[in-house]
Amino acid sequence: MAGMEMNRRDLIRFGLLAGAGTLVAPTLLRATRAHAASEVVAAVFPGAWEDMFQSVVGPALSEASGNELVLSPALASDQLGKMMASPSSPPYDALLMSPGQSAIAIENNLIEKVDPSLISNWANLSDPSFQNEWGPAITVQLDGLAYNPEKVRKPKGYGDLFSPDFYGKVAFTGFKSNSAVMAWIQTAKAFGGSEQNLDPLWPKLKEYLPHVGAIANDMNHQQSLFQQGEIDVMIASTGNVARLKGLGVPIEFVVPEEGAPATPVNIHVAKGTKDPKAVHAYIDAVLSAKVQEALQGAPLENFPTNKTVPLTPAVAAYMSREQLATFVYLDWNNINARRGEWTSKFDEVVRQ
Amino acid sequence: MKLLPMVILNGLFFMAPLFLLVGMSFSGDAGATTAHYARFFADPINVAVLRDTIYLGVKVIVFTTLVGYPVALLFMLLGPTGRRILLFCTVLPMLTSNVVRTLAWIAILGREGVVNNTLVGLGLTSTPLQFMYNELGLIIALSQIELPLLVLPLVSVLAKIDRSLWEASTSLGMNAWQTFVRIILPLSVPGLIAGWVLVFASACMNFVTQAVIGGARLIYLPQFIYQEVNTLYDWPFAAAIAIVMLTTIGIVLGALTAVGRNRRINVYA
Repeated sequence: MAGMEMNRRDLIRFGLLAGAGTLVAPTLLRATRAHAASEVVAAVFPGAWEDMFQSVVGPALSEASGNELVLSPALASDQLGKMMASPSSPPYDALLMSPGQSAIAIENNLIEKVDPSLISNWANLSDPSFQNEWGPAITVQLDGLAYNPEKVRKPKGYGDLFSPDFYGKVAFTGFKSNSAVMAWIQTAKAFGGSEQNLDPLWPKLKEYLPHVGAIANDMNHQQSLFQQGEIDVMIASTGNVARLKGLGVPIEFVVPEEGAPATPVNIHVAKGTKDPKAVHAYIDAVLSAKVQEALQGAPLENFPTNKTVPLTPAVAAYMSREQLATFVYLDWNNINARRGEWTSKFDEVVRQ
Repeated sequence: MKLLPMVILNGLFFMAPLFLLVGMSFSGDAGATTAHYARFFADPINVAVLRDTIYLGVKVIVFTTLVGYPVALLFMLLGPTGRRILLFCTVLPMLTSNVVRTLAWIAILGREGVVNNTLVGLGLTSTPLQFMYNELGLIIALSQIELPLLVLPLVSVLAKIDRSLWEASTSLGMNAWQTFVRIILPLSVPGLIAGWVLVFASACMNFVTQAVIGGARLIYLPQFIYQEVNTLYDWPFAAAIAIVMLTTIGIVLGALTAVGRNRRINVYA
């Protein structure tokens, strides 16, 4: 066994080699696989999105083009952060984002325009706005309010959340999530503000704070509070409501009287991706009728942007294709320009 | 030469990223700038958040000391088997991740949690009390999470105290309290300070517990940094906040360490 003994120097050498190997191996592995032009590393939202993409999109991509889908779960903000940290060697080939993050990705030169000729389902997109040159919309999320019908009355809109009927039962969250930003803009409008001016909101919020159920860290935290019965009213997207409903939580979606903000969810091609054709094949697979139809299923209940796909009753209950134009579409360049200022103001107002 | 591997590892994985962070905190569109630091200190809210972060560390030190010191004293009084059991119980929480321990506190302090269910069940309160999303709950959770960091150094110092000192003190007419105050406590100060250094640094920078138990209304510097990095993407400003936090905590830790090294306090120095 004497030959098996290692002195300290050998141990350090071995440790350094192992450490370097650990750091370099994933990059080498990824480079090798990418060279085979058969793997698409796609960012996807964690949870239900990841599960559905794994079971539906992966096989569809493999069947249609022979490419392999490797999913990397991350919220849009995290995807953007990782892309900004490593722009020359992108951690993803495809990104999944809403306009808030997409605008920053475009500004920072992190994504490429798509080539519609490589996407056979491009012409099937039901609205010209879905044919975004930076990447098509694969679904539209509708934002509004959610409430527990067993415990409180149906809220009318964002302004109505400040009613004494909901004292101690409403959760708010800050400007971290896109849904919350849109909700605050709509709330400000209810109090006389506008998309550019949230000033009327702050005194109302400060006045309401003693009655607030909770100030949640983010949308997920807010949903946990709802699930635990700590709150009964919150801002939510149709996707959030579908997910909680799937878990057996008594919850209903409300289109607010101030108007419901809608946000498309787009797939983008990461700049510097090794195989853009494979990424386009992935986008095409997500837009295909078969996948769009499957993504309408619970718990995602995604609105299909492919016009050849009929809406399921569950999705049609939230919105129809005719209603799309009636929703509120906000200017994300304006929002991104003011988001820092609003975030600071919100922290200042809610800080204990 | 023996130190070379350590120097290389520290240089590569600690000093180099730190220098990058410092460099980023001074970066601006038109070259090097101190604007990010000026912006941080110009806003009274930022300064208040820095102050709150330091206060949080101090409060957690007080709580962990109140709970941890009796535990360490008990260790001193126990026999070998008792000591092993106590040490195991102290180290046990460290074997689970900080995230898991934080989530466990939700089950304990939440509206439907163990504490509230017990209080309501005993008829001590008709409605659940608010332990989550306030400073009290955060300090309770952080104190438990950081407790091993205080107890372990304290125990190592207390174990060195010769039991004959205790006996000599008693034979000279001191009661147990006087022996504790005049003999045990002064001799344990180095362990106490070592524990305070660890608890303070860890409590101030414990992003997960601060965010989950403290909620969005208690704002501390780690959340501030995260927000700038992942929501607003203002990385130079985030780097400046990180350097301010590192420097401030470093000053407090430096002061504590200097006190600990004082020969009048540290008899083991």
